[in-house]
Amino acid sequence: MEKWLGAFGLTLTLILGWTLWDASVQEWQRYQGAYYREALRRAQKGAQKAWASNLRTEIKQLQLNGNATVERCVTCHLGYDNPAFQGFVAPLRTHSSLLKNHPPERFGCVGCHGGEGRAVTTLEAHGEGEVAAKPLLRGKYMQAACYNCHGTKTLPPQATDSVVRGRELVNRYMCLACHKIDGEGGEEGPDLSTVGSQRSWTWIYAHTVRPQGVVAGSTMPVFSLKRDEIQDVTIFLMTLLDSRDRLRYLPLLARRVVRELPAEERLAAPKSADPEELKIASRIVFTYDGKKLFHGAGCNICHTIGISGGEVGPALTYIGRKRNSENLERLLKDPDEILPGGKMPQLYLNNLQVKALVRYLGERR
Amino acid sequence: MREPMISDVYQKFARGLVSARQLPGRFYRSVFRGSYPTTARQQLAAVVNNLILHVHPTRVYSRSIKAQTTLGLGLICLYLFIIEWITGIFLMFYYEPSTGAAYGRILDLNYTIMFGRVMRNLHRWAAEAMVVAVALHMCRVFYTGAYKPPREFNWVLGVALLVLTLALSFTGYLLPWDQLSFWAVTVGTNIVSYAPVLGPKLRFVLLGGDSVGSDALLRFYTLHVIAIPAVASLMINYHIWRVIKDGGLAHPFEKRAGEDEAAAQTARGDSVVPTFPQVVYAELLVFLVLMIGLMVASLLFNAPLEEEANPLRPNNPSKAPWYFLGLQELVGYSAFWGGVGVPTLLMLYLLALPYFDRIPRGVGVWFSRERLAMINFWTLILLGILVTTALGIYFRGPNWNFYWPWENWPGPH
Repeated sequence: MEKWLGAFGLTLTLILGWTLWDASVQEWQRYQGAYYREALRRAQKGAQKAWASNLRTEIKQLQLNGNATVERCVTCHLGYDNPAFQGFVAPLRTHSSLLKNHPPERFGCVGCHGGEGRAVTTLEAHGEGEVAAKPLLRGKYMQAACYNCHGTKTLPPQATDSVVRGRELVNRYMCLACHKIDGEGGEEGPDLSTVGSQRSWTWIYAHTVRPQGVVAGSTMPVFSLKRDEIQDVTIFLMTLLDSRDRLRYLPLLARRVVRELPAEERLAAPKSADPEELKIASRIVFTYDGKKLFHGAGCNICHTIGISGGEVGPALTYIGRKRNSENLERLLKDPDEILPGGKMPQLYLNNLQVKALVRYLGERR
Repeated sequence: MREPMISDVYQKFARGLVSARQLPGRFYRSVFRGSYPTTARQQLAAVVNNLILHVHPTRVYSRSIKAQTTLGLGLICLYLFIIEWITGIFLMFYYEPSTGAAYGRILDLNYTIMFGRVMRNLHRWAAEAMVVAVALHMCRVFYTGAYKPPREFNWVLGVALLVLTLALSFTGYLLPWDQLSFWAVTVGTNIVSYAPVLGPKLRFVLLGGDSVGSDALLRFYTLHVIAIPAVASLMINYHIWRVIKDGGLAHPFEKRAGEDEAAAQTARGDSVVPTFPQVVYAELLVFLVLMIGLMVASLLFNAPLEEEANPLRPNNPSKAPWYFLGLQELVGYSAFWGGVGVPTLLMLYLLALPYFDRIPRGVGVWFSRERLAMINFWTLILLGILVTTALGIYFRGPNWNFYWPWENWPGPH
């Protein structure tokens, strides 16, 4: 009896150690470490050195709406308002100049990009994890967010061209014959007035390609749309939000703000193709889990692996036998190149996500 | 002059060192009175003189600590309750029962609060385990005939504790304020409203309104963190105290030649072991195994969480918490029978069981032959509950239609 007590007691102690490790070692700490090391390296003047060495490893957050909304994106995306990090490696680089008119302390991040502001792991924050998976708006899909506040009038036409084309397509294919949008349209299909709040763009895209592959027994016809057209329709549908999501944009609809990015002398501007920078980049260990990404980023909405998944695209259970990794990589980066005229969407994945997915898919053999 | 001074200091220091070395021993004796018990007499005293241990008898039958006698289920229920209590207090430091803040607090627990994720998972998995453990404990007591005189009333207390366990679990279900909890509680309280006359009123009182909203959240929170736990704690104490007062664990009586077992008044001549250390060690062992299992589960599997509750967008299907899915399945056939008839009949059956069961034989024996009819009836009910619950969990899709578990549900998912 005493022996068993000792053995189990020891096991429990080890598990408590594991708990402590699990709670204290976190993904975002790596990104902050890399950022601070780079900031310190670039610091030249005494004041810059003092600033850079006083940076603390901590969770950082933007608090909006009188602190009701908390967004922790900047815990990893540290260089967002520091122009010295323009073009730097992915989570640490400077935000585009759009930040000038959309100061993050008022607009936050989630309002435009989507995702889960409270999370501090890549998968969960990007809406690709277990909780309420709704992937970030990426690439062209960002137009839906721009359109939500600006409409089409105040922006240059190329900023909302997909929304406009999507709306034309919805009219041309007479979607309103079956679906209702804002009280107008048929009763046959579900009301689409708030579809952008209810579904992720990956789901809407998949459903537009072949409804039956996502919703078994759906009576919606398959429209032979081209890849770009499906994308445009999806982007338009993503602008149809419910009152709660519209309310989220309300504080952003306030008067136009012009804010200069902090005129930066804190750090020296980066030299292009700096070998040291590449070293820093390689030191940040990105850990995309291909399997989790496959489910979180929406691949499984169209593709089946094993017994679960959608039936819009081909099953990928043995995809590793059919395509080599180089082919898979090119396909994921630019579907149009490998599958011209196909329906596979441009997912706007970054290199590391592509690599993780290729590794996972390559093993399906 | 100098030398004696140094030796004085040295001696004082040495004495100090000696008394410092004795300190742990003194502290131990100040707590436990006397050294580690080795003789039988000391071992008896160790149980009687200790606040926690004195709920035990000083000696127990050696069969009482064999795993197959009770499977440790009652003890596991108690441990789970204590774990719920401790993790629950941890969660209370962070949780805020308001519709605007609750979900964010849960996300914070998951993502940024030190140990928050593990504590929330522990609380959730221990809660689910407690529902299972309490049900299994009840089955054990039934199948070993341990509810028979003089233990009838303790069975009734146990039934009340089963109800309290379900109530605790159900009230806690709403607190994360996500889609899952919101619609589960909406469905769960709808089942209540099927009761004739009083049903809708009862639902109104429970929710503080006609639908699940901020008042419902506050009510469920108060019930969950103070009202029900307080009642449950008192009843658990009473339940455990009654175990001893009713003569310890149910124990088969000796059957002498030519005598009916029922008439036997003396216990079988089983060997007896001292409570300290055997029983105490066995109980510690059960705790360690349980805790290891729960910790590993909590580290590996996250408690379910969906999007923030949205009253405008019902989940389809909306399912009650799994332990009420049997009832929801029945509601699918008949609102009255699922919502009122069957649960009332089950409760009455459970409460009356020890009083209408007049067979005195088969106490402390698993599946006694003499109780075959009773055992069959119970097993039949149990199977019914298991089948309807499994149907509800695995075989019901949108609009409560039947689907095989591997079938894709039509409609958005």
